[in-house]
Amino acid sequence: MNCDSVLESIPLYFYGELAPPQEDEFEEHLHACPACAREMERQRAFAAALAGRQIEPPAAFLEECRHALWSSIDAGAAVERPDWRAEAPAPPKAGPWRLFLEALADTFSGLERFRVPVGAAAMLALGFVAARVTTPTTTAEPAFHAVRSVEPDGSGHVAISLDEIRRRTVTGSMDDRNIQQLLLAAAQSDNPAARLESMGVLKDRVESSSVRDALLNAAAHDPNPSVRMKALEGLKPLSGEPDVRKVLSQVLLSDDNPAIRVQVVDMLVAHQADDMVGVLQDLMQREDNSYVRMKSEQALKAMNASIGTF
Amino acid sequence: MSCDLSPPAASNKLDAIPYRATGQFMASQTAEAVGARLSPQIDSLIRAAQKGDQVAFETLVRTYDQSVLRLAMNLLRSPEEARDVYQEAFLRVYRNLNTFRFDCSFHTWLYRIVTNICLDHLRKRKVRKEEPSVIETAEGPVDRMDTFEEGSAEADPERTAWNRQLRARIESALQDLTPRERMVFEMRHYEGLRLRNIGEILGTTEEAAKNCLFRATQKMRAELGDFI
Repeated sequence: MNCDSVLESIPLYFYGELAPPQEDEFEEHLHACPACAREMERQRAFAAALAGRQIEPPAAFLEECRHALWSSIDAGAAVERPDWRAEAPAPPKAGPWRLFLEALADTFSGLERFRVPVGAAAMLALGFVAARVTTPTTTAEPAFHAVRSVEPDGSGHVAISLDEIRRRTVTGSMDDRNIQQLLLAAAQSDNPAARLESMGVLKDRVESSSVRDALLNAAAHDPNPSVRMKALEGLKPLSGEPDVRKVLSQVLLSDDNPAIRVQVVDMLVAHQADDMVGVLQDLMQREDNSYVRMKSEQALKAMNASIGTF
Repeated sequence: MSCDLSPPAASNKLDAIPYRATGQFMASQTAEAVGARLSPQIDSLIRAAQKGDQVAFETLVRTYDQSVLRLAMNLLRSPEEARDVYQEAFLRVYRNLNTFRFDCSFHTWLYRIVTNICLDHLRKRKVRKEEPSVIETAEGPVDRMDTFEEGSAEADPERTAWNRQLRARIESALQDLTPRERMVFEMRHYEGLRLRNIGEILGTTEEAAKNCLFRATQKMRAELGDFI
């Protein structure tokens, strides 16, 4: 090391960020060079001057901040729509990725409004079913739902028969059969947030035939594109299997969402098979999204197949 | 749930840091060190919180929030802004915890959120040309955050005046750094984070973080010239 490189390395050496061989060279130079050694002393003096500046938050201030946070969460501030847009990276200027991202943006434009309460909503939906099959870990105060009958007994007392709704939260391992049943039930609930959340969990359990059926069913029939997309993610490892390919081909030709069709093309072409050519040629006849057309065209070319049917 | 979150007896990370720098770390227990040591417990807390377990979320916050608040206070030198950063950061964590997929450490993920918010504050300040931490008084410039320091009273009036001037000069030197240089310097010098980790947090390379630290140090040393 010469003087210039040593001077440049002083802060890194001071903070222990030089690699060991460089550190040895640095120290050797320092022993032999009084000018650089003085610079190193100045770095130490500089650090010493800064030493008294650091402030540790007083415990009371920390508690005050925590209290304000819990209050905001209790008041519902945490479920406001997050504003991440300012920090999101700018979209690409042009090219196929732009088309793909635009297709995705169209697909998920309505989803953000329930992205935040998704966990809570899923838990709520699960809670109703859960009470029958698993032990609750927490219970909420029952909510009054409807009065069925009122019977005064003549002595100043009255018997009121009413229905209650009780929310329960259950927790358990994904290996628990009851939990799996709850997730499968949630996958068919009316709540798209609960369906999406359960798909996200089930997609890692495709070895179970009932999970596989639930994923296939969701990919082909769920009305929400985000849920269909999540189901497709789970089916990726199975995209070489004939029954799965059959469903994927149907999805490709019938799904009205371009992002879903792009995903299906990718899954199908990952396993090149003869059945693909006819499906992709059919697609080329009816496809109007330029990015999906481009993907299909590439796949057909890769298989040395013609773009159209004659 | 039962997670042992008692503080670690000693920080392995600090043991590994060369002698020449250890004296500078006021934050002897960085969140990174705590997080690394408690990683399995932290992971189970995150998973529980993702499933809606409020107690787990609160425990997670309590594990990291002191270092988050310290970073915000020391960067912004304003208790009000530090409180805002704390609030905003943990609300974002609460809203977005479901998107955390364990592809980086929770510490890194959390600090990305915190540093983004702090950088926004610093940039807004640059635009408004504010210097909220140092105020002019009849006795010279005073750092508002002095009121947070314990035992800052000095018997020797001359020494007190000199210290006050030094602090004001340090604050002024820090104000002259770009927000990014300021952030890298704070995290490396005071919080004791490794440059590789800082690069990961700020979405840049270790090399870029090194350059940033070098520029920050050079500027600071030039500004403090006759004091050191």
